[in-house]
Amino acid sequence: MTGTTIAIRIAESIPAVPAVPMADVVEATSHWWAGFILWCPLISLVLCGLCAAFRVKSKLPAWITVLSLACSFTFTVILGNLEDVPERINLFEWIAVFWSDGSFVANFALYIDSLTILWMSFVTGLGTLIALYASEYMEPDLGKGYARFFAGVSVFLFAMGCLVMGDNLLMLYLGWEGVGFASYWLIGYYYRRPEAVAAAKKAFIVNRIGDLGLALAIYLIWATFGTIQYNELMTLLDEGTYATVYEHWSVEAIPYLLMLAAFGKSAQLPLYIWLPDAMEGPTPVSALIHAATMVTAGIYLIARMYPFFLLEPTSLHVVAWVGGLTALLAATIGMAQYDIKRIFAYSTVSQLGFMFLGLGVLTTYGASYHVFTHAFFKAVLFLTAGAVMHGFAGQLDLRKLSGLRRMKGWRIVAWTMFVGCICLAGFPFTSGYFSKDAILAEAFVTQGPGFEILGWIAIFTAFLTAYYTFRVWCRVCAGPVHFEPGDELHDDDHHDDGHDEGHGFHPHAPRFAINFVLVVIAAGALLASVPYFMTNEVSDIKGGWIADMVNDSTAASGIPGHAEHPGTIAHDHSGDHGHHHGSILGMDPHVAMYYISGVVGGVGLFLAFWLHLWRRQDADRLRSWLLARAWIRWLPVAMENKWYVDEVYHALVRAPLWLLGHIFHGFDRYIIDGLLVDGTARLPRLVAKWFQPLQNGMLQSYAITMAGGAALIALLMILMMQFFEGGGVQ
Amino acid sequence: MMSWLLILLPLVGVLGIIAAPARLAKVTALLTTLVVFGVSIAAAVGFGGWGNGTMGLTGSFQWLTNYGIEIQVGADSVSLVLVLLTTFLMPLAVLGSFSSVKDRLREYYGWLLGLQAAMIGVFLARDLVLFYVCFEFTLVPMFFLIAIYGSTNRARASVKFMIYTFTGSLITLAAFLWLAWSASQAADGQWTFAIADLTRHATTSLAASEQAWLLLALLIGFGVKVPIFPVHTWLPLAHTEAPTAGSVILAGVLLKLGTYGLYRFMLPMCPEAVVEWAPVIAILAIIGIIYAALICWIQTDVKKLVAYSSVSHLGFCILGLFALNPMGLEGSILYMVNHGLSTGALFFLIGMMYERFHTRDMRAIGGLAGRMPIWACFMVFFVLASVGLPGLNGFVSEFLCLIAVFTAGEGGAYPGVLGPWYAAIAALGMIFAAMYLLIMVGKIVFGPERLPAGNHDDGPLPKDLGVREIVVLVPLAVLCLVLGVQPWIIIDGTSAAVADTLAVYQPLLEQASQQTGSAVSNALAGGAP
Repeated sequence: MTGTTIAIRIAESIPAVPAVPMADVVEATSHWWAGFILWCPLISLVLCGLCAAFRVKSKLPAWITVLSLACSFTFTVILGNLEDVPERINLFEWIAVFWSDGSFVANFALYIDSLTILWMSFVTGLGTLIALYASEYMEPDLGKGYARFFAGVSVFLFAMGCLVMGDNLLMLYLGWEGVGFASYWLIGYYYRRPEAVAAAKKAFIVNRIGDLGLALAIYLIWATFGTIQYNELMTLLDEGTYATVYEHWSVEAIPYLLMLAAFGKSAQLPLYIWLPDAMEGPTPVSALIHAATMVTAGIYLIARMYPFFLLEPTSLHVVAWVGGLTALLAATIGMAQYDIKRIFAYSTVSQLGFMFLGLGVLTTYGASYHVFTHAFFKAVLFLTAGAVMHGFAGQLDLRKLSGLRRMKGWRIVAWTMFVGCICLAGFPFTSGYFSKDAILAEAFVTQGPGFEILGWIAIFTAFLTAYYTFRVWCRVCAGPVHFEPGDELHDDDHHDDGHDEGHGFHPHAPRFAINFVLVVIAAGALLASVPYFMTNEVSDIKGGWIADMVNDSTAASGIPGHAEHPGTIAHDHSGDHGHHHGSILGMDPHVAMYYISGVVGGVGLFLAFWLHLWRRQDADRLRSWLLARAWIRWLPVAMENKWYVDEVYHALVRAPLWLLGHIFHGFDRYIIDGLLVDGTARLPRLVAKWFQPLQNGMLQSYAITMAGGAALIALLMILMMQFFEGGGVQ
Repeated sequence: MMSWLLILLPLVGVLGIIAAPARLAKVTALLTTLVVFGVSIAAAVGFGGWGNGTMGLTGSFQWLTNYGIEIQVGADSVSLVLVLLTTFLMPLAVLGSFSSVKDRLREYYGWLLGLQAAMIGVFLARDLVLFYVCFEFTLVPMFFLIAIYGSTNRARASVKFMIYTFTGSLITLAAFLWLAWSASQAADGQWTFAIADLTRHATTSLAASEQAWLLLALLIGFGVKVPIFPVHTWLPLAHTEAPTAGSVILAGVLLKLGTYGLYRFMLPMCPEAVVEWAPVIAILAIIGIIYAALICWIQTDVKKLVAYSSVSHLGFCILGLFALNPMGLEGSILYMVNHGLSTGALFFLIGMMYERFHTRDMRAIGGLAGRMPIWACFMVFFVLASVGLPGLNGFVSEFLCLIAVFTAGEGGAYPGVLGPWYAAIAALGMIFAAMYLLIMVGKIVFGPERLPAGNHDDGPLPKDLGVREIVVLVPLAVLCLVLGVQPWIIIDGTSAAVADTLAVYQPLLEQASQQTGSAVSNALAGGAP
């Protein structure tokens, strides 16, 4: 396709691109205090650093962090209630280069709109709660890594704040890399363990691949639009006053580059491999960073830059398919794992896939709502897993734990985990049910290549989700009481009893902080379904204040029922509302989905109860039956081995690079340095060697050489004279 | 006056070291470098050239007037930034050597101060004679520092360093002499070596082909110094064998003599040739970035790893220069400073490790975080600065260089001869940098503790970093943070000087992009229409 046709096509679709009326963006100078949403974690970082330097042995770092994050949360809530128009808050100048006829400006400034507030509210809110939880969870490390841990959490909250609240793409990039670094810091928290170090490194490097996409997207956006500030970008997009083709690149490349970034950070195919390994970090970190907040940054990025995606409809198809396939793949892997945290990790990858599916099928509302509900129920699941790990000396194998709900002191853990499970499984009338259905139904409504197939894949994934979720709960929390402790027996942990090889091991039940946080977040997970029933400011759309918030932002065009969509994507909500082309089994997709997803979830749940609670031996029998059949054997093996994706990466990326490194090293050493440099350096010596025999100390040979030399000079002189006489210079 | 003071004060310090007993050598050196730093700060405060392109701190000294040789000094904002980098690093280098250098103290500190004088001289020189003399003289102290105080393979490293860079700069000397001769021909036998006059002559009266030859000669001399890809092999060896302070100065300042030379001479003197050949140089830089990064990745010697990383990192710096637009040049200038800070600090840290365990082999040593937490914190910090984590200094310069290269194409905000592909491929270096540096951190800082056999801390050094060592590292860390958050300090200060340098380029580049690129860049654009 040539540049002109692209230009024409984009020019046609421009008027249809809805963005926020950017004239309303307010330059707010009176809200400078909003900066404290960022400064609070930063202050906490400094104080925690001081605690580490002075080897504070109390829980002071935890209280500092909890307090500062609570302040951030408070500021966020105040800010959210104060204004509902987008506003910019300039904090200070960061990178700015000016020249005669242009400039590159990226200030340290905040862009506050409702999408920002939505994200920041659960980031800071859950951050506070999880920090509180960690104050108890990290107790064994008091005086050792305690302050370092909370410093890392503070760094994370600061970076996440920059990511979400930044007013330009470079601020987003700062946060983007910053959360990657915080993640590196916290995954590698147990730095003596080689697995933790390797996992941290892997997370950072895989994320860097995504960051490369983001960096290139920023370059291209700046090259095309001459700005990287959101409000200016959106205005330009609305007006259509920009070059569509930059050199051989066009604006259509932007969404793909952004996508690469989003897939890296949000662990989608093919870059999801770092997330399961990231479970090496302390569990509060897994809950906060690798489930609830950081991994949703990719969804935020796409939602924020949604108008760019609408310029290139195919990119949204790619997003949808990648999301759907990731959801399925991760769910199949999650089914066959035994480590509770890893199951939840794959489940996170899978749920993130749902969110991308939602973005791809034009429901930024569904995606954002799912981000919101998922943040709560996945946090609760991880935190219960953490409580189990904490109490059973690191035991996470679901075959070695059973009947938690019957044990004294573990009831809160068991039942909050149950709440998390029903939400994740999408049990009717839970939060996960509504948010997931918002996405699934749109897959049938929106027209796109194979979106209907994608919808069925997603429904099947929902079934798998219900199964593997309750597999965990039935194994760990239900059934007869039975447990084996893990191998992490802390010296200063259980003062009262000597624990020899697990005999006489007493699991220590969580105390107030953990239980309190579990109950609060579980309640949040249940209450997250309420917005669905709430009324809206705009009558055409559904979904309560969450939909309203998305509708007021740059992601507005992904709201079902929102005014217009670009002509290139046929979204059936445009035009007359209530008339759907898409249908499932002859019903309206939204209505049908309530039933389908309820049934599917129920079946999965039943299967889990059957195989993992009522007749556990059947599960083993099924497994051995599968393994005994040659034609099906590959399936469980591949699932248990995570489809060998890590091995494929090793063979296709790491090994060739390693080989290339060695080839370059050899080339550098033997060809460039050895042959060319040292070879050249040896030349004079070599030349000298030819003449060396002349210096033999024998008078006769010197005489001969002298005579020969004299003769040679005489010859040369004669020749030159002839040359000059015969038409030379003079 | 200030300029003379800056150049001569270190030499006075040398005299002081000679006069004083050996045990006072290090104190004398430290005091001298601190005084020089103070003077440079005073000069910077009083400098009138910030934010405008004017020259300050000027002075001249008639020498061989018959031959037009007049020693001129002076500084524009770019020079002064690099002078400040030098004077800032020197006290730290001296302080960092207190425990590692145990004998031949007077020579050691004497050479360090001599080196400082020469480096400041290079940056302050406003005529070719002083420039070239100082440029070459930096080799001598460095040669002795490596040859006497280096590690096992020091003899070979020092000789190679000396001969390699000397050979390269001889070609540059030839080019300078030819340029001066050509200028004298044009001015009726009136010789001059003043950089300003020669630049004027080169831009106005040299033919394009003559400029191309000039470019080649300058590229050889300065390219070896930077080093640019195929002429880089002296660097890993010299870095690995040099004593800690030597490595710090080498990475921090001496490599910058090359990039500074390119900025000061190549860009203003042969603009037409630069526009023609920028793609080729950029490709060499990109090869250097990727090639050196992959070599870093498989290194086992920590110091060699950091040394090769310099080759990779300076590729970005070169790319920024040849983007030929304000962002690129600012990025490049920032890169010179930032690389000096973060890589210098990494060499300090490796030196501190080496002093304790006498090994640099990552297979033999590891997991030092538990044993040396302060050291580990600094290590991680400077590695992150080097990787280019936003918020720290490395990011700003890397970002500016890459975005400059990306937009330096046909339809860019500022016309140029590079383009998106150059930036896209060079940006792979970002991933590789994370790979090799984090592998290094993962091995020596984290993981289970591994110590080399028979080397346990029996020395006088504390187990973790002592106060002196922390004092060396903290200023570097603070500056890394400050330049990461407030890079305008340098950007605003040098913007006018950069604009002056680029003034000659804008018409050339517009012309080049109107002709849809020169022959070379067309061929390299990969069959683009």
